Amino acid sequence: MSILLFLIPITILLGFLGVMAFLWTIKTKQYDDLEGSANRILFDEDLKKKKKIKNENS
Amino acid sequence: MLLNKTHKENISSDEPTLRSEFVSNSQSKSSSPMGRVGGGKNFFCLHCGNFTNDQFCCLGCETAYKIINEMGLSNYYESRIIDEKTRKIKPDNFEKIENIEDFIKEENGKFEIFLAVDGLHCAACVWLIESILQKQNNVILARLNLSKKYLRIVWQSQKELIKDYIKIINEIGYKLYPFDELILAEQEKKYNNDLVKCLAVAGFGAGNVMLFSSILWFSNLNLIGQATIDLMHFASAMIALPVIAYAARPFFKSAAISIKSRSFNMDVPIAVAIFLACTVSLIESFNSAKHVYFDSAVMLIFFLLIGRYLDFRARKKAFDIAKEFSILSANFARLIENDNNIKIIATKNIKKDMFLLVVAGDKIPADAIIIEGESEIDNSIITGETLPKKVINGDKVYAGAINLSLPIKIKVEKNHDQSLLSEIVKIVENAESQKNKFVKIADKIARSYTPIVHLVAFATFSLWYFFLDSGFENALLNATAVLIITCPCALALAVPIAQTITISNLIKRGILAKSGEALEKINEVEVIIFDKTGTLTAGKPKLINILGLNKNLNEEEKDFYLMLAASLAKYSSHPLSASLVASNLQNTIDLKVTEEQGFGLSSIYDHKILKLGKKDFVLILNDSIPFQFSNQAHEFKGEAEQMYFSTCASQDPQNLCASFEKWNGMTKCYFKFGDDEILFLFEDRLKSDASDVIQKLKLLNKEIILLSGDNKIIVEETAKTLGITEFYFEKTPLEKMEFLKSLNKKIMMIGDGINDAPALALSDVSVSFCKAANIAQNTADIVLWGEKLSPILDIFSITKQQFKIIKENLAIALIYNLLAVPFAIMGYVTPLIAAIAMSSSSILVLLNSLRLLKK
Repeated sequence: MSILLFLIPITILLGFLGVMAFLWTIKTKQYDDLEGSANRILFDEDLKKKKKIKNENS
Repeated sequence: MLLNKTHKENISSDEPTLRSEFVSNSQSKSSSPMGRVGGGKNFFCLHCGNFTNDQFCCLGCETAYKIINEMGLSNYYESRIIDEKTRKIKPDNFEKIENIEDFIKEENGKFEIFLAVDGLHCAACVWLIESILQKQNNVILARLNLSKKYLRIVWQSQKELIKDYIKIINEIGYKLYPFDELILAEQEKKYNNDLVKCLAVAGFGAGNVMLFSSILWFSNLNLIGQATIDLMHFASAMIALPVIAYAARPFFKSAAISIKSRSFNMDVPIAVAIFLACTVSLIESFNSAKHVYFDSAVMLIFFLLIGRYLDFRARKKAFDIAKEFSILSANFARLIENDNNIKIIATKNIKKDMFLLVVAGDKIPADAIIIEGESEIDNSIITGETLPKKVINGDKVYAGAINLSLPIKIKVEKNHDQSLLSEIVKIVENAESQKNKFVKIADKIARSYTPIVHLVAFATFSLWYFFLDSGFENALLNATAVLIITCPCALALAVPIAQTITISNLIKRGILAKSGEALEKINEVEVIIFDKTGTLTAGKPKLINILGLNKNLNEEEKDFYLMLAASLAKYSSHPLSASLVASNLQNTIDLKVTEEQGFGLSSIYDHKILKLGKKDFVLILNDSIPFQFSNQAHEFKGEAEQMYFSTCASQDPQNLCASFEKWNGMTKCYFKFGDDEILFLFEDRLKSDASDVIQKLKLLNKEIILLSGDNKIIVEETAKTLGITEFYFEKTPLEKMEFLKSLNKKIMMIGDGINDAPALALSDVSVSFCKAANIAQNTADIVLWGEKLSPILDIFSITKQQFKIIKENLAIALIYNLLAVPFAIMGYVTPLIAAIAMSSSSILVLLNSLRLLKK
């Protein structure tokens, strides 16, 4: 049963990390535009590529 | 792609002026005017999607199309879906936002701005706007929030660059408004995030505590030993206590407020139960006891927060949509500066003695006096009067009225906070505080439930302590078990789940319910009060008759003249023109039209002069028809009147006088084609479903009252047509409010004007329309998306189902409590049983509520 002494802190730590990750997503406003994000994945790739090129240039 | 290229080539070779001449030439060749209806074929404009006779409806669209193609973004046209409800992306002369600098935030050499976007149809629009901005120099980030319809641009180098960015977005047809992020109701947002955070933490706690509890649920002392049990208890405490301290704050806060105001709500027993459960469990853990209730407490909070979050989200969704309307109809005014430059300023910055320009179609931004120009003013939103009022130099105009025909220069008389509109805002706020206090169903139950629960818990404690001599600890433990098991978990979920589903059902039908409370109140409504203008009627003129002034017209001729008039009218933004265009079902022809601002339109067709507009303008060359309006029915001299009244008299001779008054109440528009003189008659028509809705509401045993600011004749006529026996006319906003007070019944008020706002605020349930005045919309509990009235029937039927489900839910929750309490009193409720009972009743309530989805 002494294994519990290790496992309990580990479970709590893992759970804690999960909550922290979730709170981070809230803080960075990832739920602000659910409608837009759902569609954004369908946008053409060239947008991102051009952006990259531009960044390299600048 | 091929298609796009060909169009593109066409553009460069085709000049717009050439095209229109070509069109008019081909028409003048046509010999018989009656035989030919309509110009060329109909296309959709390649850019904005409007009906047009050519590839593009205007030069603006053509330029926009070029810009988009040049940037290699023509994919946009293939992937977009045009939303008919939204403004077409037609580039217009959007006014410049002069004081844009005030809205820019500066940080580390980077600039940031938020702009509200009007004209978003679908995700393709998002892509287009973002792509175009990304291609501009110095733009670091351009992100459009589709849910909230605002655009965030971050750029570097120069502040002024924003003007270029705005210009290009305007050029492709989207309208931008400066957008103060503070409008986003920060308070609301914070509450939301806070609630989500609490929910997340509670969810984490519930899951992890259960991990340890499950060991305790399914084993016993002999199997794992007291030391392990204690370890589990302390591990649970380690998670549960911080989690509860964080996640239960909303309940503790609410309970504290409720105790202070001495009106118990549901949160009081919740807070007491959680607090007791934690304290007792902590003591028990130190005493190496068998049972602790940390898991029950955390689970309880988790379930309750779900209910609370659902409730909040549903309201927020409706609230967001409603807010969108008010942001897009943002309040800006055109300030005339000393050097005669026009600057756009926010309405709130209007000061006394400023000079403002109000162009046709604009809302008048402040109470003011006209110092230059004359025009017609639509007061319907302020007073409920249907007919436009003519105003000249020196007349007073009030904030909220709409300028219909000509630009006017006005001098502001009162600061923004003293204007008539602001006065009404104050009355509204006052009325809201006078509103009958409504107690939510859940709180109503809580009021009687809380004392009973606490009494039972106390009785349990006394029973064990005094009569069964079981010792203080055991007695307290059993009392806590009673509190936990009676904790209104299912009760707290019963109402919000049903309301959440109902609100989303309503949204699907174009009904935005801003508060769950209003939905609960609908069932008690006894009286329904309607405003007239804009509520029962469309609020805008509709063509009802076409009369020939110098000859009788047959149907074919009527259609022909209507088509000609509509061909002229499509070049004007006057409401009567819009009505003519809407009434015309045939193809219009392209004409070279000259507009004489405020008087009318003229053109030449088939070598004859066409004129459309005011009497003086159209009939000026022909004085042979004397038009004299008099109050005596027998003194008519105008032929049109005689013709009109001879038809009325033959149908209903008794009613000649009433018809005469109706005649005066009608809006008229004159039209001349060669020698033919035509009169178009307009009337503010009842909405198509008004009479049907009134009849059905009567069947629901509701009392119907018509309460209007309009004059007696029009109101009487409307009431008669609709079969409303109780009606009141010429009521000021305050009189409307007083009337509602005097009724002393449960009232549903439906209205759209500024003059309705106080009455809306005072009524138990208030309904408004999305095109209503901002203040009416903000005050209303329920906003209807379209213009139709039939959603009101939906509101009644949907909330009736909802009420039934809520009742069932409450019954389930109460029955569960009745069954469980005896066991708790007897001390049989272990944490495992509490957990099962709690979750099973919650799931039952949830499943029952889901039945609403099917309907």
